[in-house]
Amino acid sequence: MNSPLDIPLQAFFGQLLIGLINGSFYALLSLGLAVIFGMLRVINFAHGAQYMLGAFCAWLLLRHFSADYWTALLLAPLLVGALGALKERVFLAPLYRLDHLYGLLLTYGVSLVIEGLFRHWYGTAGESYPMPAVFSGAVNLGFMVLPLYRGWVIVASILICSATWALIERTKFGAYLRAATENPVLVQSFGVNVPRIMMLTYAIGAGLAALSGVLAAPIYPVNPLMGRDLMVVVFAVVVIGGMGSILGAVVAGYALGLLEGLTKVFYPEASSTIVFVTMAIVLLIRPAGLFGKDMAAPPESALHRPVELLEWRRWSAPVLAIGVVLLLAAPHFVYPILVMKVLCFALFAAAFNLLFGYVGLLSFGHAAFFGGASYITAYTIKELGVTPELGILAGAAFASVLGVAFGYLAIRRLGIYFAMITLALAQMFFFFSVQAPFTGGENGIQDVPRGNLFGLISLDSGFSLYYFVMAIFLFGFIFVWRIVRSPFGNILKAIRENEQRAISLGYKVDRYKLGAFVMSAGIAGLAGATKAIVFQSATLTDVGWQMSGEVILMTLLGGIGTLLGPVAGAALVVALESWVSELAVPAPIIMGTIFIVCVMIFRRGIVGEASRLLQMPTKFPGWGKLYAGLIRSKGTHA
Amino acid sequence: MTTELLLEVQDLHAWYGDSLALHGVNFSVRKGETVSLIGRNGAGKSTTLKAIMGIVRKRSGAIRLRGIDLVGLPLHQVARAGIGYVPEDRGIFSSLDVFENLMLPPRIESGGFTLQQIYELFPNLLERRNSAGTKLSGGEQQMLAIARILRTGVKFLLLDEPTEGLAPVLVQRIGAAVRSLKKSGMTIVLVEQNFRFARRVADRFYVMEDGKIVDSFAAEELSERMGMLHETLRL
Repeated sequence: MNSPLDIPLQAFFGQLLIGLINGSFYALLSLGLAVIFGMLRVINFAHGAQYMLGAFCAWLLLRHFSADYWTALLLAPLLVGALGALKERVFLAPLYRLDHLYGLLLTYGVSLVIEGLFRHWYGTAGESYPMPAVFSGAVNLGFMVLPLYRGWVIVASILICSATWALIERTKFGAYLRAATENPVLVQSFGVNVPRIMMLTYAIGAGLAALSGVLAAPIYPVNPLMGRDLMVVVFAVVVIGGMGSILGAVVAGYALGLLEGLTKVFYPEASSTIVFVTMAIVLLIRPAGLFGKDMAAPPESALHRPVELLEWRRWSAPVLAIGVVLLLAAPHFVYPILVMKVLCFALFAAAFNLLFGYVGLLSFGHAAFFGGASYITAYTIKELGVTPELGILAGAAFASVLGVAFGYLAIRRLGIYFAMITLALAQMFFFFSVQAPFTGGENGIQDVPRGNLFGLISLDSGFSLYYFVMAIFLFGFIFVWRIVRSPFGNILKAIRENEQRAISLGYKVDRYKLGAFVMSAGIAGLAGATKAIVFQSATLTDVGWQMSGEVILMTLLGGIGTLLGPVAGAALVVALESWVSELAVPAPIIMGTIFIVCVMIFRRGIVGEASRLLQMPTKFPGWGKLYAGLIRSKGTHA
Repeated sequence: MTTELLLEVQDLHAWYGDSLALHGVNFSVRKGETVSLIGRNGAGKSTTLKAIMGIVRKRSGAIRLRGIDLVGLPLHQVARAGIGYVPEDRGIFSSLDVFENLMLPPRIESGGFTLQQIYELFPNLLERRNSAGTKLSGGEQQMLAIARILRTGVKFLLLDEPTEGLAPVLVQRIGAAVRSLKKSGMTIVLVEQNFRFARRVADRFYVMEDGKIVDSFAAEELSERMGMLHETLRL
């Protein structure tokens, strides 16, 4: 018996079932995200890690305490929930008064640490969790055979989603939660302990993630990274469903799982990207998501300043001059390839900072531009035989074009939404890179010849390559600097400070944001293209979302919205990475810890703190008097 | 009316960010009386209520309720100490229906209004109990905002501009409700722009200007003060 499209019915239903199972997990995880987001306005990046923790809890409980599946189903959410409650009190609560982006960054750091620790302890091979005996069989439904456990997952997820819905819509706690989502201060003024409700909400969200993890343990390998890529898909699901909408999260979760299953049947190549494509379409038609309330002017971010903006100072020029001299001399003292790596990343971070620091848009998808350009440059040079400068131009041009497409979609939303959308778009590009024939898939493009600059100067000599890279860096860096100081840059800063006001002054802010986005993408591409020549390769690492996280870390560590911050941050992170690689501790743990420290207590970054210290003397009251005196004496002379 | 001191505010300063909004406010409220803070827009009347509750967190000075200092207490504990606060914007929750809005605040003291008593005071709320909170008219929203605080059983209310934007007939309804609360022994601090409303319910007045209390007088002295009030408040 065949379906009209000649696909065996069994296979068709089989894929549909897999889709439904995946959809169950999407629904459960996006539900947890929506619950947390609704109350705390935090995008919980650690949700995937908490899902993984749940699965590991089950596995550890079985191994060390011989606790069965049902015990794990009960205990794991409680344990992970308690951990979540602790995390909320210690780390998240102090961040509520700041821009919501900090919550996202903090949970990202936490997820790096948790995943890093479990990788360190258990490796990435994956453990298997036995199927509970009750569910070991299968039942023949006539049109297909349904393994019992998979049936249970679907039933359980529906039960859990309904119970959560009932908790929110039908209980007193839910009423507090809904009311506090609208106006937490007023609810607290009634005598309700709102901070505790926030803690409980986060614990419930974390517990839901852990519960999904236990459900997943018997069907997927229990692996430290099991939650990580799932997370990005779930972000896209949440954007599609409409952020903060419980119903939207659940419906979109199941629907997209099914859609993914159907895609596997009819056009398997697109199955890993269909969710992201759907997200792009939904954003075009209904930017608020299918079930989201229309928020023409999202309250958050537009009103907050991400950081204190530190402008050009008197000492900046000498510092820059010293910097150039140091750069000229550097290859004589330091291993040139390390300096070139720093320069590539510094340029990447400067490009990212143009968007984040000066427009206030946190892109979590800049790796697509960096890595994408890297691929194009490597390909054009190796396969088409073009000269290095043309290859780099091609890479940067590609990144700019990609920037137009991504930017056009992403600037429809602000703040955390923007971050999630860019992340999802970049992940779509990542999957494209995995599958596209010219990228070499897992192997990447290797042995890219450096060639001769303008067909004349060989870049195989260390010094000529170094000065070439340095010239590109300086060009890019000065370009960013000029943009920031131009009238265009002032409008960007105005948009960042208060978008509504900029609109009311008659600026078409979307054009400016898109312009900044494309420039940022182009410069990021320039950096990635240059890196392809320096390392003679282009790989998946450069397009992965961890790369996007890394550039955020560099900028955050160096100082958001400062000119030199990204350079300092890039230098430090590159140095740290080469140092950490010799240690027994995995890099993500260190990076995650730095992330957490930066977000919690070091938000100005190195350059930000330094310039604040250098700025101090001007606040000394004596200076003002002295200055006033000078003006006066000048006046009498004239 | 007893002379027992219920609330005592001494040298209260409050800040919005870096800007000082209250410059040392001093006043006191005795048990059972209705005190009205009057003054021009921006004089600091609403801020005073918010600072007492702790909604404006950055403040210094002393706020004592029955001798307990409220400064430093988290917001929910201030409420638990026995203060009901009705904000200027009424704060009706749009994702809750009227009944849920009414039942939201937890009981704080015994003797709170029963649903029946509330529906007697505000019959409209009974008719509209299943509507979404924000579908109510302005007057109904104000009634709901007052009613839900009465359920908690607190004996001390901070009312911020309860008649703002209401039609005269509704102002009278709110006025009748406030007077009946007063009769039942409730202590009330009322912030009001509508002086004609305030003079009908208040026992004493404090006049605020530039974040300070500049004058105070009892209701009996009102007629002789009218001239001065006309001048300072342009009433």
